[in-house]
Order: sequence, then C-alpha cells, then structure tokens
Amino acid sequence: MASDPGDAGRPVAVRARGWGWRHATRTAWALAGVDLDVAPGERVLLLGPSGSGKSTLLAGLAGLLDGGPDGTGEQAGELLLDGVPAREARTRAVAAGTARTGLVLQDPLAQTVLARCGDDVAFGLENHAVPPDRIWPRVDAALRAVAFPYARDRPTARLSGGERQRLALAGALALRPGLLLLDEPTAMLDPEGAALLREQVVAVLAATGATCVLVEHRVAPWIALVDRVVVLAPGGGVIADGAPDDVLAARGAQLAAQGVWVPGCPALSPPRPAAGRSAGPSLLCARGVAVRRPGPPAPAVRDVDVDVHGGRITCVVGPNGSGKSSLALALGGLVTPAAGELVAGPALARGLGPQPARWRPRELVTRIGTVFQDPQHQFVARTCADELAVGPRRAGLADAQVRERVADLLDRLRLAPLARANPFTLSGGEQRRLSVATALATRPRLLVLDEPTFGQDARTWAELVRLLAGLRDEGTGIVAVTHDEALVDALADDVLRLRAGRPDVDAVPAAGRAR
Amino acid sequence: MIRPGAPGPPDPPAAGAAPPGRGAIARTNPVAKLLVSLLISLVLLLTVDVVTAAAALALECLALPWCGLGARALARRAGALLVAGGSAGLVAALVGVDGGAQLAAVGPVTVTQGSLLSGLAVVARILAIGLPGVVLVATTDPTDLADGLGQVLRLPATPVLAALAALRLFGVLAQEWQDLAHARRARGLGGGGPVGRVRDVLGQVFALLVIAVRRGTVLAMAMESRGFGAAARRTWARPSRLRPGDLALLAGGAAVALTATAAGVAAGTWRLLLG
Amino acid sequence: MSTTVERQTLPVRLLAVAAVPVAAGALIWAVGLPPTPSLFGTPLADLTVEAALVVALGGLSAVGAVTARSRWRVVDLVVASVLAVVGGLFFWGVATVWDPVTRALSLVPPSSALLAGLWMVPGVLGGLVIRKRGAAVYVELVAAVIEALLGNVWGFSTVYYGLIEGLGAEFVLALLLYRAFGPVPAVLAGAGAGLAGGLLDVTVYYPDLAGGAKAGYVALAVLSSAVIAGMGAWALTRALAATGALASLASGRAAQRV
Repeated sequence: MASDPGDAGRPVAVRARGWGWRHATRTAWALAGVDLDVAPGERVLLLGPSGSGKSTLLAGLAGLLDGGPDGTGEQAGELLLDGVPAREARTRAVAAGTARTGLVLQDPLAQTVLARCGDDVAFGLENHAVPPDRIWPRVDAALRAVAFPYARDRPTARLSGGERQRLALAGALALRPGLLLLDEPTAMLDPEGAALLREQVVAVLAATGATCVLVEHRVAPWIALVDRVVVLAPGGGVIADGAPDDVLAARGAQLAAQGVWVPGCPALSPPRPAAGRSAGPSLLCARGVAVRRPGPPAPAVRDVDVDVHGGRITCVVGPNGSGKSSLALALGGLVTPAAGELVAGPALARGLGPQPARWRPRELVTRIGTVFQDPQHQFVARTCADELAVGPRRAGLADAQVRERVADLLDRLRLAPLARANPFTLSGGEQRRLSVATALATRPRLLVLDEPTFGQDARTWAELVRLLAGLRDEGTGIVAVTHDEALVDALADDVLRLRAGRPDVDAVPAAGRAR
Repeated sequence: MIRPGAPGPPDPPAAGAAPPGRGAIARTNPVAKLLVSLLISLVLLLTVDVVTAAAALALECLALPWCGLGARALARRAGALLVAGGSAGLVAALVGVDGGAQLAAVGPVTVTQGSLLSGLAVVARILAIGLPGVVLVATTDPTDLADGLGQVLRLPATPVLAALAALRLFGVLAQEWQDLAHARRARGLGGGGPVGRVRDVLGQVFALLVIAVRRGTVLAMAMESRGFGAAARRTWARPSRLRPGDLALLAGGAAVALTATAAGVAAGTWRLLLG
Repeated sequence: MSTTVERQTLPVRLLAVAAVPVAAGALIWAVGLPPTPSLFGTPLADLTVEAALVVALGGLSAVGAVTARSRWRVVDLVVASVLAVVGGLFFWGVATVWDPVTRALSLVPPSSALLAGLWMVPGVLGGLVIRKRGAAVYVELVAAVIEALLGNVWGFSTVYYGLIEGLGAEFVLALLLYRAFGPVPAVLAGAGAGLAGGLLDVTVYYPDLAGGAKAGYVALAVLSSAVIAGMGAWALTRALAATGALASLASGRAAQRV
C-alpha cells in the first residue's frame, strides 16, 4: 500500500507479531516475541526497567533497524506500519516525499544537524525531495507548532537543551508524520525545559491526532496524556498492556522496584537525622565569591556567601543559567574565583595553603572530591577496578592499600561484577555509581556533586540518597548542586538558592524548615 | 529563481561563526572562492621564486579592499600565517643557499643576496598561498559552502552533509574539552613533568574522541530518521548558483595566477619544482 | 556461542577473478619483456620483475576495490566524518608546531621524514574503524581540507597531499580485499600511505636531493608511517572498540560482547 502525498499526517496503525531483535554485538536478544497492536491516533506509554529494549522497539518502528546480511543485527517476526514492514515503509515514504514516523531522541546535543535553526528543520524536508518553494512555509509552520521562540537564522550553538529538543520536535513535525516516537525526550532537561516540552507535545498531538509511542522514566506528568501503558520485559515481550490506572495498580510496586518513577510509590528515603546535631568543623568559607567562565565577560555567578561544614549537606539550587555549576567548580578547587575569598579551613587544608585552586592535583584529590554531571567526563582508565585505583595511586598509597580500598568500594556500591568492564560500556546508573565511587576512593573530607541525580531512575536515586546520608553521618561535608527538589527535601541541611548568577534574596530562608 | 522568505532580524553572530563580509568578494559564492584558492595554491606550488610569489601577493593585496574584512579582523586571522611565514623566511635567509654578494655575517651564519632573496621568496609564497584561504574562511559560512559544493560542483550530497554535521558537532565539543580538563584535575591528574602532561593530554584527547564518536552515532540515527541517506535525490532549500560576479572572481583568480607566472618567466627566475 | 554476520570464507568466484592479475603478473615474469623499448633510460627487459609486481598488485587491488561489499550506512559516514574533523584538528595542531619542532630537532631532509607518520594517522584510522571501500581516502582527504580551512602554512596544497596519502592506505586495504584489519594489515596500510606521501614529498618539495638521499627519505617515511600511523591507528581502534563506542560499526562487531 504505497503512501502518496495525500497520506501526509494520516495517523499510523502499528502491528507487531512475535517481533524480536538481537544486536549483532550481543548474544542475548534485546526483545523477543513482542505482540502489540496500536490503533491510529492512540497514545501509548512504554515502560520497563533499563535494558528492556524500549529504545530498540522505537528504533524498529522508525525503520532504522536493518536485519539484512549487511545490517546491524537479526530480526524475528514482523513489525508493520499500516500493513507495511517498518523498514520498507521508511524507504517508500522518502521516495514519495512524506514521512510515516518522526523520532525524537534523548540527547539534545546530538540531534541538531545544522548550524542555523531554520536550516535544521528544513534538513528533513530536503532529504524527502520536497520542492524548494514549499520547504520554507512548512519550516515556519513547524516552528510555530512548537512555539519556538527564535527566528530562523538563530545559531543552534546558542540554544539551551530544552530549546534544542523543541527544535528536534519541529524537525520531525515538518515531515507531517503519522506516528510520533519519543525516546525519553525530557530525560536530559531541567524541570522547566521538561515542562515546556511536555506542553508542546500535548499541543502537537492534539493538533495532528498522530499516533504516539512514548518512552519515559518519570511517569507522573505523562499519565494524563496517554491512553495505554505497555510494559516490556528485558529480553522478552509485553508483560502488561492496558489502561494506565489498571496497569499501574497491578504492576506499580514491581515497576517501582525496578526503578521506574511510578506515581504514588515514592522512592525510599532515609530517615532525617535527629535535630540539634552539631555541625562538624568548618571546611570551606566563601565570602563574596564570583566565578568567571571563558567567553562571556560578566561573571557567571557572584556575591556568594556560603559556609560548608563537615557532617552537613548544603544544596545549591536554582534555574538553568543561574551559575550553579560554576560555583561548584570553584568550591571544588578547580577554578580560581574571579573575586571574593574562598578559604579552606584547617580541617580540610591539613597543612596546605588556604586556597583550594592553588593546590596540586594529587593534594586536591585527597581533600576534595568532585563528581561531575556527565560521568563520562571523569573516566580515565580501561576497567572499573583501575578507575577506582587511579585516585589512591596518585595520592601515593601503597599497592596493598589501594587494592583493599578498591575491593571495599566495589562491594559497597555493588560494582563487583563490573570490575573488569570498560567504564564507557556501563549503563547510566552504573556509571553514576562508579563516578561517585572514584570520588570516594581517596576519602576526601569534602564532596562536591554536580547534578548527581540527573536522569537517574528511582532505584539509583534511592541508593545515592542513602549513600550521601551515610557519608554525612560519618562526618564528610557535602555540597550538592541540583535541580531536583525531591533531593533537597530528602537531604539538605542548608539550602542556597541562586537566580541569574546571584543568591536569591527572595527565597524562603532554609532556617524556616524543620530540621 | 524563487528566493526563500526573508528571515527575521539576524542575531549577532556567535563566536566562531563567520560573519558575512560586506565587500563584493565576500558575497560571492563560496565555491568560487574555494576554486580560486585551489588554483592559486597549485600554480604557486610549482615554483619558489621571488618574482612570481611577490607578484601574486601584490595582486591579491590589491583585491583586499573588496573582501569586506576590517584591518583588525584580517590581522587577527592572518596573524598565524604571518608568524609562520616570517619565521620560515628568516630561516631560509640565514641558512639558505648562498649566492651573490654577501650582505651580513654573524659568526658562521651568513646572509647573502641569494639567501635573502630566497627568504623573501619563501615569505611571499606562504602569504600568497595562504591569503585566499584566510579570506575564504573569514567570509564564508560552512553551510553555504556545503550548499555550493553540492549544487554547483555536484559533489555527492551525502558525504558533504555528513562532514558538515560532524563539523557542527565539534562546535559543541569545545565546552566538553573544558569539562574534561576540570575533571582530570579533580581526579588528581595533571602536573607531573612534561611526559606526564603529554600523557594526560593524550588521555583527554582520547576521551573527547570517544564522546565524539558516541554522539556521532546518535546524530547518525537522528539524521537517518529524517530521511538522510535513503534516496539519491534531494532538493536544496538554499539555492546556490554561480552568478556573473562569481565568474568574474574566477576569471580574476586565473588572471592573478597567469600574471604572476608570466612575471616570473619574464624575469627569468621561474623554475619548475617538479621533475 | 556468538555468531558473526560477515562471512568468514572467500567465495570461489572471487578467488577466480583475483587469480587473473596474479596469473598475468606471473606470465610476464615467466615470458619476460622485450628489450628494445626503454623507459627512463633503462631497457624494459631489466624491469620485468617490477612490471610483473605492478600488474599483479595493481590488478588485485582493483579487484578488491570493485568487489568489496561496501554499502556505506549513514552511521559509517557520520562516524567517518567525526574522525575526519578530529583528524583535521590534529593536523592543524601538528602543522602549527611542525616548523619550530623540526628545526629544534635539527631535522633536515632526509631525516625529517622521521615524523612523517603523523600525517597518515587519520587515513589509516578511518580505514580500520569503518572498514568500507573508500574510508581511508575519505577521512584523510576531509581532514586535510579542514586543516587547510583552519589556516596553515601550506595552504590548500595539503588537500592534494591528503588525497594521495589516503589513496596509499586505501591501495593496501583494497589489496587485502577489505577483509583483513588486524595489526599486520594496519602496519602495511601505514607503510603504503608513507610510500605515497614520501614519493610526493621528494618530487614536490625536495627535487634537489641526491638520488640516495631521496631513497633514504622515502624509506624513512615508510618506516615512520608503518610505526606511527599503522601501529598507532591500530592501537587506537582497539581502545575505541573496548569502550563500546564502535558498537554500530563493522569494527565494533569484530569485538564481540557476551
């Protein structure tokens, strides 16, 4: 059944019979025996633990998986869009000048193709051989449909994560797909960006009536939007399929245990410590600190006063662009403050000068540990065990001690089975645990974390909260820069709110909260 | 020709984006500028002599006012070229082949007429070869160049666009490089003699390569989902054609090459390097 | 048990076609060339062995280039482009410090060929990572174009160099019918690129050297490229594959995960 231009935008019906896929580099099947029927215009939410092949199913629906002799894996069963195999549907649609599916992925930085916003949206239209005089009107229509705030020749390099995702959505929409596939589009966005994107998706689906298959970890905001919830099992097929309330009632606890953020099943939190516990020694004292980043002449953050003590957790919160990460770099001793004073107390400095930015790296690593937002930035070794050993070795410990510490951390953070794996091959949650473990390997007195719970599932979240609470009780000082209000509620002893590069004087003072 | 609808007021160009020059040469098709650079490079590559190189350089400098580059922008971009050319010329003058009258002597190093001329030839040649390239980069947007390569030169669109997308990907990675450097300091690496530093930098480069390849894989998926690589035929949203001004530039570039060569032959200093 | 998608044995038809140039070369060697026409002052009869080798090797690489199963997927092209952009930045960095460093180390030709291998790394790396027909040429050429656009001392002449050096590596990989990508083929591909680059250098930049110095220059270029570009690119490919970054490419499939 060939699609002609009149089909543009017609919602697609999906049908899977015994469909399975095995990547060529793995021996186990990512999915097997998937039986699924999606009616045109229906909205489906795919749930399941990490590794259950949800992204694989979306890639299959988009027609990107090639099971042929020269392809990337092996296919079983059939996956049909309006009765045509998905891969064929894609090539036929390109030949006919329309698209049956549109795909939005998780990583905002990897989806912008060209350097100007209008050109990026026009890219898909060019590939489908749309006549040039019809390209730009459709580009404008797509940008309007996602309420894109900028003009066509805005450089994409200056877009925020949320704006990039909206641009990617516009790029998919310009082709008027009948099936919209969303693979965790809000996972790497801050809460405001995520809310804006959600709004636009809702508006777009209401306007076009397209079928939608959505994968998301945080279920609560999307529940009202979807008609159906389908749960996948790793290496298997569909284990639950039905109305959202029914499926969540039946499987909610199981899903929550596997890490999905199920509404109504809050992630486990450690009990708050007894009030009136005295704070430990002063570790860092900042007065009027300003931090400048390369590029813009104005400082990213300034006039910050903060006291960090051992045994207390300080959370730095604020919207995107408020300078939180820059402050974290300064507190971690990685950049010199452009103004103000940042003094390390004697308990932290232990004989060195008062300015952490002046310490040598091997001295810094035993005093302050920093955990970055993207764990991949921190990996320097070839196996997890070597990764954990890097810090202690640099600090000059003996081999036997290094081995002992590595074994202890591998156990404590449940990384022992991965000791010989390459850090880059770990899953998101495992990478996060590894990056925290490497910071702890040198037993620093102060731990600075930049967005530790970013994009993590519920299980890793709970583990991190328990770990940080445990470290605090042992006397380590912790500074956590985060968007995550739930983390702040669970852990924070002190809260510093930033807005547009300065402390937010209008915020409710932390002392008002029960401690 | 249908011109696409006028875009809104342009934002100030981001750091690194090529600001469109106001001069006539700056507004020509990037393919014309590229061909002129290739042609002049090829012709000047064939010989090392003062007359040819100086003539080419002089003619190029005559065309500079039409390039729309301010003096400061030009000096900034051509600065590296000047430094490299200057040092190479100096070395050639000092230790080059001696010939003719001796002009100066500092210890064992002598500067003769011959070696001075060869030094000047080296400087002029480097500048003459490099200048069109500098103008090309300073006044051209990479997307416009890719459009030109695909439509005017009819190069296969898929590799050209893939290269353009990879180039865009790298613009974003500058920030990652900074983060990698900070992360390495936080891990205790860095500072530890030159050998240790080289190893650390190489490790940092490797990490950047891994991140780039991974992101490239995701980018490929995104591009493919928008129809890239599926059909041989594609249309172009930003038409690129050779206009009379571009042909005039090409003719001008050919004229520069020919005139310089003729000058060298007439002066008797032109000597084919090959063979 | 793991299964691979690529076939492991050479089909008979391919062997038959590949046997033709080999047979032609053997025939030339056995029969010998006529002595009367001469090439560059040497009678043809003295060049029999060289001619036979050229026919056999050239024919084999042509067969390899034509019959290689080489449909480029989008991910192959984009990763190749990413490698090319990294290569271009690498070239630009090396070009900036090339003159001062070689003069500081008092490297004059022929010994300046010692570092020549640095210029061949992206091409060999591209060939080993992508494993498709034309990968080495594409990566080396685009890297050279980007180096030229970023601005360097030699201007757009680097583009010609990139093309010829890339073809040198491509020649070797085609000779091996695009089926072997281990350490030995990597070293040979590096040597091939070094040979091409060395010959280009002595014809364009150093025509004044004596015959012996020219031969020494080319030999050093071959050795340096075999080590730096060949072994270096192979080690880099292995390290990349270990991180799982190459999982969607042919080279990643060779590194099986359980």
